[in-house]
Amino acid sequence: MPDELARWAARRAPALLARAEEDAVAVLRDALVGAALDERRSASAQTAARTIGAGAPTASPRERDLEPKPKPPSGDVLWTYCVVAAREPLPDVLAGVDPSHPVERVAAGELAALVSRVPLSEFGEEPLRRNLNELDWLERVARRHEQVLEQTLGHGTIVPLRLCTIFADEDGVRRMLEEQRPALEAALELLTGRQEWGVKLLVERKALETVARDHTPEADARSDEIETSSAGGAYMLRRRLEREIREAADRLAVSVADDVHARLQDWASDAVLNPPQNRELSGHEGEMVLNGAYLVETPKVERLGELVSELQDRYRSLGATLELTGPWPPYNFVPRGVDVEGAPLA
Amino acid sequence: MAQERYLPTRGGSPLPGRPESANLADILERVLDKGIVIAGDIQINLLEVELLTIKLRLLIASVDRAREMGINWWESDASLQSIEPGDDEDGREQLERENRELRERLERLERRLDAGDEDRSEEPSAGAGHA
Repeated sequence: MPDELARWAARRAPALLARAEEDAVAVLRDALVGAALDERRSASAQTAARTIGAGAPTASPRERDLEPKPKPPSGDVLWTYCVVAAREPLPDVLAGVDPSHPVERVAAGELAALVSRVPLSEFGEEPLRRNLNELDWLERVARRHEQVLEQTLGHGTIVPLRLCTIFADEDGVRRMLEEQRPALEAALELLTGRQEWGVKLLVERKALETVARDHTPEADARSDEIETSSAGGAYMLRRRLEREIREAADRLAVSVADDVHARLQDWASDAVLNPPQNRELSGHEGEMVLNGAYLVETPKVERLGELVSELQDRYRSLGATLELTGPWPPYNFVPRGVDVEGAPLA
Repeated sequence: MAQERYLPTRGGSPLPGRPESANLADILERVLDKGIVIAGDIQINLLEVELLTIKLRLLIASVDRAREMGINWWESDASLQSIEPGDDEDGREQLERENRELRERLERLERRLDAGDEDRSEEPSAGAGHA
């Protein structure tokens, strides 16, 4: 009997091991992400004098000076936030990414860019490269960039520029506005009268598995089998049943996400799907099975709230929560690139 | 009531950097990956290498779990492919190494078990012939 049990266990060992490996990798991954986040927390407690780049930025050969004659990175450059129609009114005074400089407007013809001065010592190529990999620095800058966009959004249509679009001076900004005019005007036209909203679908694993079990016909038969099996056999069967239910729950989550997205997409002017977010950054509870952005005609926004509530009610038994955020600057609905990466305009 | 709960949660104008404003993941996924891309005078290629560390921190935990579940709708998104080839990111390297080690260990264990299994599986047939 013990022999039989040992043989039986040996046959099932690979499957068990695979499962164990999966678990181990998941634990490991969580630990790594946790460690990475811890590291950034402790890094933020230290001074900015980090050794990553080794040495002062001025010493680096990668630094590309903006002036024809080489000089240390001092002085200011222009950080750009977004493009607006030049006739749009602007909020009065906005603090820039560098809070000591206000947001200004640089116009060329019908278009204008919102810009603010930032120090080259922090936003030059080399320091920027280093700073971008410091999550605290990145968070501060990203939030300020976002805040300027959000405040401008209330005053008219904007075309958001991606983080770190930086020009040497106002002439550079004007030249960009002129060269990119067709794409920028097309984007402004597309976005006028529309808003970007975010919808996330979060489900509770427990609720999902309860429903999945009810829809797994083999589950009852398996349970009976477990009852009548020996201790070792029952353990294996229980693990198998758990796996089947887990997989059924996954399929259920996918189908709910598909349905919610399809309903919202039908109804929006455009839709974009983004990867689920890292819990450590987003602080969400449950499992994020949908992270969508939807471009919605302004008069239809009110109905969006109702639609989201309806969808949430429909899937309440799965512990589903739909999270609606917005209006966002329409980041997800501008052309991805009007100029090839790395091709300097100057 | 539901309206109140689920309609815009991001109103007001939080002070810069205040943690209770919009969630950081919401902001970063937009400002880093989205928005119109125009080459400025300072050349920083956010799409490829510059933000590898941050993007990995941002994505790896949730994306891998989603893939396990069979969710992969974002994979047609070119900007996210850039994290795939890997680079000199410590966390990723470490993860890959650990993963490889785990697999190797698993294979060794499996081989040992297979060998044991074959040995044993001969026994019952011999026994059956006997009966």
